[in-house]
Amino acid sequence: MKTAATKRMRRQKRNAVFGNIYAVLIYSIFYIPVAIMIAFSFNDAPRNYAWQGFTTKWYGELFSFSNHALWESLAYSVAIALISTLISVTIGVLGGIGLKKFEFRCKKFINMMLYVPIVVPEIVLAVAMLIIFMTIGIHLGMWTIIIGHCTFCIPYAVVTIKGRISGDNETLQEASMDLGANRTQTFWRVTVPSIMPGIMSAAFLSFTLSIDDVVMSNMLAGASKSTLPVLILSVNRTGVTPDINALTTLMVALMVLGMLVLNLIQAWQKKKVQRQIAEAERRISSAK
Amino acid sequence: MKKAFAMILALVLTLGLVACGNNGGGTEGSKELNIFMWGDYISGDMVSNFEKENGVKINLSYMNDNADSITKLTAGAGDEYDLIMTCDAYMESLIKGGYLEKLDPEKIPNAIANMNEAYWTGENRDYCVPYLMNYIYVVYDTERCPIEITCYNDLIKPEMKGQIGSIDGARNLFPIALIALGYDPNSTNEKEIAEAYDWLVKYNENVVAYGSTETNMLNGSISCMLTYDGNTANAMAELGDKNTLVIAPFTKDPVQLGFDLFVIPKGAKHMDMAYKFLNYMTDAEVMAGNLVEYPYSCPNDAAVAAASEEYRSGPAFDFDYKTNIFFQKDVGDTIAVYDKYYQMLKVG
Amino acid sequence: MTTIAIAKKKKPHSRLPLLAQAGPVSVWMILFVTIPMLFIIYISFMTRGTFGGVEYDATIESYKTLMDVTYFQVIVKSLKVALVTTVSCLILGYPFAYYIARKPADVASKLIMLLMIPFWTNSLMRLNAWMLLFQTNGPVNNTLMRWGWINSPIKFIYTDGLVLLGLITNMLPFAVLPMYASIEKLQKSLLEASADLGATPMHTFLHVTLPLTFPGIFSAVILTFIPALGTYTVTDMLGGGKVLYIGNIIKNQFGVIRNWPLGAALSVLLLVITALLIFLYTRFAKIDELEVL
Repeated sequence: MKTAATKRMRRQKRNAVFGNIYAVLIYSIFYIPVAIMIAFSFNDAPRNYAWQGFTTKWYGELFSFSNHALWESLAYSVAIALISTLISVTIGVLGGIGLKKFEFRCKKFINMMLYVPIVVPEIVLAVAMLIIFMTIGIHLGMWTIIIGHCTFCIPYAVVTIKGRISGDNETLQEASMDLGANRTQTFWRVTVPSIMPGIMSAAFLSFTLSIDDVVMSNMLAGASKSTLPVLILSVNRTGVTPDINALTTLMVALMVLGMLVLNLIQAWQKKKVQRQIAEAERRISSAK
Repeated sequence: MKKAFAMILALVLTLGLVACGNNGGGTEGSKELNIFMWGDYISGDMVSNFEKENGVKINLSYMNDNADSITKLTAGAGDEYDLIMTCDAYMESLIKGGYLEKLDPEKIPNAIANMNEAYWTGENRDYCVPYLMNYIYVVYDTERCPIEITCYNDLIKPEMKGQIGSIDGARNLFPIALIALGYDPNSTNEKEIAEAYDWLVKYNENVVAYGSTETNMLNGSISCMLTYDGNTANAMAELGDKNTLVIAPFTKDPVQLGFDLFVIPKGAKHMDMAYKFLNYMTDAEVMAGNLVEYPYSCPNDAAVAAASEEYRSGPAFDFDYKTNIFFQKDVGDTIAVYDKYYQMLKVG
Repeated sequence: MTTIAIAKKKKPHSRLPLLAQAGPVSVWMILFVTIPMLFIIYISFMTRGTFGGVEYDATIESYKTLMDVTYFQVIVKSLKVALVTTVSCLILGYPFAYYIARKPADVASKLIMLLMIPFWTNSLMRLNAWMLLFQTNGPVNNTLMRWGWINSPIKFIYTDGLVLLGLITNMLPFAVLPMYASIEKLQKSLLEASADLGATPMHTFLHVTLPLTFPGIFSAVILTFIPALGTYTVTDMLGGGKVLYIGNIIKNQFGVIRNWPLGAALSVLLLVITALLIFLYTRFAKIDELEVL
């Protein structure tokens, strides 16, 4: 019996080691290109054909703001991605719950429609939208791009959130209503927290899809500005310049920093709550 | 939880408003000029000097594909812009389709005075002003390329297998095959196009990759390329003193000369500024300044004369058959035939 | 929404929550997906405009063109690429999703985040990075030569292997996320019960884990196979643009070739193929809900 237990433990340990190695390998598939991209932001050459030597001049140039076109398009991309994410997640949360909970006549049809933006090449929807917008006389600009982005983000958001809703949620919601909470309270206090992981990943997916999009951002763009990916693809005709690497590096660094700060705040708040609980418990016990 | 959502909402809406506030709406009276063109293709000074001189804001937005301007114009989005960059191959369709504004020559005296007449002819002349131009020629590495290239037919020799990098596109590839076979590069005869297809099948066997020609040349994946002069200039600059690239000394076969030109779309909202910019752009000194940063071939004779010695002696533009050229013409419906054979070529 | 009717609900509710919840998504999908798609189907039966665009003159010319054997070959090629990508993503992604799912919730969410961060950089730049790494005189070849493992550079670029690597780089997270979600939902007690009842780990995996996580695998297949079917940027950049896929051809019809009706007809064809595949798949797997995370 004892040997079996140790055998199992040893096997688990071995599996854990294998698991870790495997995870590192998979992550490296994603991080090696990023690392190279960052490395080439220090490349001392006008265009990134090959490594020529180390320099930090591209960062200097970025911060001298001589190249404000780059900054402008970055801000534009981020703004579009944030708004698209917010809209997609909002519609996705409501839609995910609605499509899971209710039965209505055109539900099957809407479910089918959700596949379409995933299936059809983006250019097709983009051109169709462009023609329709032009026919109705909608002025192209930031909002037309956002509409385009939301159209392919919403399906991912709905599907992601739908997968999170299970029977438990229903019971919880009913319990909440039975205890006298109204619909809005139930939604914010019970439903939303229970599907929070789904909401987070929907937001992640939407943001990711939007910030990297080229086709919609190109076709539905107005005359005023281009998003960063569109600019990069345009520049790629004669080779990407290292200042773009520098900007992308800064962008990733800032976003990672933002994530870390968010995590820290969360941890700090958790600790504060725990301290308050501990305090309360101490008081109760001392009162006794 | 609710508070956090409200905060995010507020933040995002402010961001949205800020971002929208910048583009000013495009109403009449607000002084702006909207240009749709390639990225990294116009000097910042040229833009900012014009803005200062005229008290106008230039909005640049960028295309990803030569056909983007066509797609936008045919979809009816032309009036969103004041100037659109396109290339000569699409001009006929755009003119006949009625997508362009006819230019008033009196408003662009600089262009009339400075432009080389040979590059600004025919019906196109009434509708566009050339910006820069590019030769599509063959370049090879004297040390690595197995044979010397002097005509297109050299490219399909078996020795060249796995040596060639090439630009892509039906209307860039078929003309060289047609010329190699002794036909009109803009042929509309299906039999000739079919023969060109057979030629290109052999060419395709020798090609390593389409696109990224100069990158592949620099990293040693290819030793010969069919490419634009601008990309060659970048490759030669990257090699510097160690340059072993030469422009193939063609004796008989003409090379393609293409133009990036500006047109005013029908219904442009800031027509006066568009004209002003076209006239400003064709000024000899202004364009000469632009050539320092973007040393590409230029149809503006006065600007070339005013440009630096360094520009004029650039190795990527130094070849002696510059007048033995052909243009890509709009082939109308025959484009469908080209497309059919191009697809067959790429399906294999 | 006029077509909404409440069917299965225990308590008689007002229509308000249904309208508020299912309403926005339905309206959005109808406005920005159904209408454009109907328009595309409509265009596919029109004539190509001489100067680009569409002439509103009904014909089935575009669909006749599709009968050409070339398109059949292109579609077969595209299906093959999509299939290889999907299978690779499943094989690589499942163990990885399993690994993440077995971690405590807060660690798992960080690991997922770590998976998404690279995607905030531009995909073109990431593909370029693979090229820079593997090119003929690039770091990999140079290092291998310095260590004396090889004598002359290996040709990595423009090989099928690199194309597959690129596709995996772009698609794998979309396979991992749904599989992670369904593995995470799996109750640990169930697996332990299976082990206690004497099942080998292999047996447990095949007869408990795999069947229970099938919905996740199904979503992973949908979210990798379908986008891979229409992709062309990766294959163009890393494959050297020597082969056309269905995505290339559709893009060209709306661009250089200016044959919108044919592009529309090809899109309709692609839609039909996918619908058919999903239909067969759901029948075969007895699943009717697409689930991600």
